[in-house]
Amino acid sequence: MKMNVCMLTWEFPPRIVGGIARHCYGLARALARDNHEIHVVTLDFPGAPMFEEIDGAKIHRVKIELGHPNFITWTFIFNHFLEKEVATLCREVEVDIIHIHDWLTASSGIATKNFLKKPLVSTVHSTEVGRVQELRSPDSYLIDGMEWWMTYEAKKIILCSNSMKWEICNHFHLPQDKIAVIPNAVDAHEYDRHVDRETVRKRYSIEPYDKLVLFVGRLVPQKGVEHLIKAIPRIVQQHNEAKFLIAGDGWSRSYLESLAVSTGYRDRIRFLGFISDSERIDLMMSADVLVVPSVYEPFGIVALEGMAAGVPVVASNVGGLSEIVEHDRTGVLVYPENPESIAWGVNRVLSDYGYSQWIIENAKKRIRDVYSWEAVGRKTVKIYEQACKG
Amino acid sequence: MGLRGYSMPDEIYFLCLLHNVGATSSDRALTLEEISRWTVMELDKVRENLEKLISTEYVQRIFEQGTERFHVTTNGIRKVLSMYS
Repeated sequence: MKMNVCMLTWEFPPRIVGGIARHCYGLARALARDNHEIHVVTLDFPGAPMFEEIDGAKIHRVKIELGHPNFITWTFIFNHFLEKEVATLCREVEVDIIHIHDWLTASSGIATKNFLKKPLVSTVHSTEVGRVQELRSPDSYLIDGMEWWMTYEAKKIILCSNSMKWEICNHFHLPQDKIAVIPNAVDAHEYDRHVDRETVRKRYSIEPYDKLVLFVGRLVPQKGVEHLIKAIPRIVQQHNEAKFLIAGDGWSRSYLESLAVSTGYRDRIRFLGFISDSERIDLMMSADVLVVPSVYEPFGIVALEGMAAGVPVVASNVGGLSEIVEHDRTGVLVYPENPESIAWGVNRVLSDYGYSQWIIENAKKRIRDVYSWEAVGRKTVKIYEQACKG
Repeated sequence: MGLRGYSMPDEIYFLCLLHNVGATSSDRALTLEEISRWTVMELDKVRENLEKLISTEYVQRIFEQGTERFHVTTNGIRKVLSMYS
């Protein structure tokens, strides 16, 4: 059955913050390729067109005409503008389903559900209680409440891992039959290209004989970069040729840069800031190991990307990462918040070329078999159908 | 001290305010006085934060008909959003 889907998300490329943008991009294109009509309504971004079609998916970008210094107030303001765009869209398109991603678009999604009288599907990518570990501020309490509200109002809830399923069921006391687990995916074709490792590494002053240890992600506490930096002396002790690239940005960058100085190896550590998707793929395909040291990770799409790129992945044994990475087969799992364990994992991969190649091959096969956007699209449509029937 | 005990630097908090009030492109750039009113900060403090953010390329300074205006850059937007996703 062909579905008309209205997807609401606060981030969509080139407005890339974290995994939500990549998820929505992959899912929207997969659904459109499967002949569903997809309308993504999202926020504008400098340089991006207000409307465009990407592989059949229609992207509507919305300009936010008002502002307010308080983030929560700003969120409610932009939801109003999203809602206005959806109202315009609905004069031309008979929407079958509304799909929202995280609390940030909850209020416009819930309003749309009620004025259209159409089912709402919510994908919860992460929770406030997971991100901050403990609710301490009025904003956090409100975000937590919004997350509960979006799960309460939704006909179906999609989560990306079993660990998220337990987290959500326990925290919000939700019935399990309302929930579906559909993992994230990666577009393996993006990695079917030749990358001249030497040229890429040269751009970052990495010599061919150096061991390149890579981190890609937001520089925020939940990503655990501080534990990787603390592991660096133990890694260098065994691999004097190790160099470290940290790609991404975030509010804790200045702290991490000063922590890097304290290791005594600041000259081996480079902070790259935000990098483009193309640069990310080049770097992943040129690195010797990708470290995902997260403290909290509902899924961990970066680990999938590393596996697709053919770089051995060393990841914390937390959340979705423990489901993506099979220890000693498709990657190496280490203890979270434990620099000694991270160093052990990195050293294990760097010390044994045969072992790392074996892991790479297993990981690539796993990606091909399980984590494709086509599979995610098909599973998501089944959830849409269930939501429309019930 | 671990990261959990580390608080957000003043200029990053200031960057968030600038982003949330909508100064995210050249056509929506704000003057020093406008920013001071939105953020309820003294002009000197506003100037100090802006200079830090310009040096890290999270904010851009433009001149429009001789008036100095400021807006958050794309990297600045990403920096702000990284806190909430």
